[in-house]
Amino acid sequence: MFLTDPFFWEVVISGLLAGVMYSLVALGFVLIFKASGIFNFAQGVLALFAALTLVGFMDGQVPFAHVINEALGTNYHHWYETPGGGDGAPIWFVALSIAATTAVMILLAWLVVKVVLKPLVNQEGIILFMATIGLAFVLEGVGDLMWGANIKVLDIGLPSGPSDWIIDQTGMFVNKLEISAAVVAVILVVSLTLFSQYTKMGRALRAVADDHQAALSVGISLETIWWIVWSVAGIVALVAGIMWGASSGVQFSLSLIALKALPVLMLGGFTSIPGAIIGGLIIGVGEKLFEFYIGPMIGGATENWFAYVLALGFLLFRPQGLFGERIIERI
Amino acid sequence: MTLVDTLPAGQREVLLEVDNISLSFGGVKAISNISFDIRVGEIRAIIGPNGAGKTSMLNVINGFYHPQEGTITFEGVPRKRMRPHHAATHGIARTFQNIALFRGMSTLDNIMTGRGTLMKRNLLWQALWTGPAEAEEIEHREAVEKIIDFLEIQHIRKTPVGRLPYGLQKRVELGRALAAEPRLLLLDEPMAGMNREEKEDMSRFIIDVNTQFGTTIALIEHDMGVVMDLSDRVVVLDYGKKIGDGPPEEVRNNQDVIDAYLGVPHE
Repeated sequence: MFLTDPFFWEVVISGLLAGVMYSLVALGFVLIFKASGIFNFAQGVLALFAALTLVGFMDGQVPFAHVINEALGTNYHHWYETPGGGDGAPIWFVALSIAATTAVMILLAWLVVKVVLKPLVNQEGIILFMATIGLAFVLEGVGDLMWGANIKVLDIGLPSGPSDWIIDQTGMFVNKLEISAAVVAVILVVSLTLFSQYTKMGRALRAVADDHQAALSVGISLETIWWIVWSVAGIVALVAGIMWGASSGVQFSLSLIALKALPVLMLGGFTSIPGAIIGGLIIGVGEKLFEFYIGPMIGGATENWFAYVLALGFLLFRPQGLFGERIIERI
Repeated sequence: MTLVDTLPAGQREVLLEVDNISLSFGGVKAISNISFDIRVGEIRAIIGPNGAGKTSMLNVINGFYHPQEGTITFEGVPRKRMRPHHAATHGIARTFQNIALFRGMSTLDNIMTGRGTLMKRNLLWQALWTGPAEAEEIEHREAVEKIIDFLEIQHIRKTPVGRLPYGLQKRVELGRALAAEPRLLLLDEPMAGMNREEKEDMSRFIIDVNTQFGTTIALIEHDMGVVMDLSDRVVVLDYGKKIGDGPPEEVRNNQDVIDAYLGVPHE
């Protein structure tokens, strides 16, 4: 019976942990979609940009060094050496870098609201969607110019490698990095949920998600809310960027993980935070199980398309997703 | 009872003055050269046939629309181009013709959003949910409970408002507007689509708000019986122009108003 087979559980667990990553990206989408009705195509690039910036701070890279050197004939590369040398940076330095990156993401959110969203207020959803595609390209280009296009190593000192304790107990290989990712994701989701349920700002966020005009009438400033939402989405992107970057290096293909969030959203529904989490887990586990048990029969490499086929099935039978709001129009 | 309360509505202090307001959308004139005032403590009705510009007028007062001409003076301060959410912070609350509630949220949360402008603790305290933010939350929750009692909606406190029947939704919306402790309350057809009993309830709430809290109210209403009973003074609009202004009995006998409602052809 396969339920007693440790290999089955290893696959399930690795699927769950991969799913956490998808969930993190999908979460950023849901936050922005709920508050502004914008499908933010740039969410994946946001994660890339956050990870690039974090690496930049940790390595002490001079932003736009290449451009500056070309223009002025100078030769700047680094502000400072990473403290700690080859043994990994000390915790205070990692914390400082993450704080600085968070500040950059908040500033970026402010710029997006002022430059992109505000001029387009009251426009059709499709126009805002196009604007976020533009934003994705701009951010990718700026990230490239700022920090260079080479693949970077992101090591913030998270535990990695298989956990010996779990091997001893159960005989399964589970990566410690993935466990940390799961723990961080859980903390993030719980605190976001508490924040949105029990604080004034959280209520304002939900209010804006429900009805813009009514929100204005009770004195909620849409711009402020959008700024907060994009900041939170930026911070979620930073967490996603750290986790993806730590496991597979910071590279420009990171922005493509955003595409994997699409089937997650179709499963979970575009408006549900729990949906994004559960959707991510289902896709993660589903594609791993499919790859290992059915993949060999049909030639493998199913991970590339399984999620999309699953999403297509959902679109046929439950278009609002598992947790999405069912829209009933009165006629 | 203060001195102000005992004066007839027309002689009290002016709360809001609308002076020569014109508003057009492209080539369409929604409002032309309208002036009137709203005085402290009165119930001021704005009436007129469909398309007369009543809701546009409310949207101008509320800051949703920006008139091309004219000035609005609220509490003695002429105001510049105002952003919609600023009306609320300045003490103007409103309800909508087509209910605009936060449908996914409970009655309690909906009304709590109304107190947003009165809650001052910053984001950091809120995020930690301790100390001053917690105390503030509790204090405002108590105020909201009072409003819930006042509107007799205790039984639906936790119900998501999207599930409530229409009449109750209107009541919750009134509650949300009241929660802001507004100095001017704008009601856009508070009784539209209600049956007789619901209308009587709503009328009672409006009168109670006015007498118990001393809130100044401007309301748009189609039911003439209700308007005549409730309001201290009435302003009548037709085709974006003001055709009458005064106490209900005077307006009722105004020939222009009668023509507008009976449909005399316009030259």
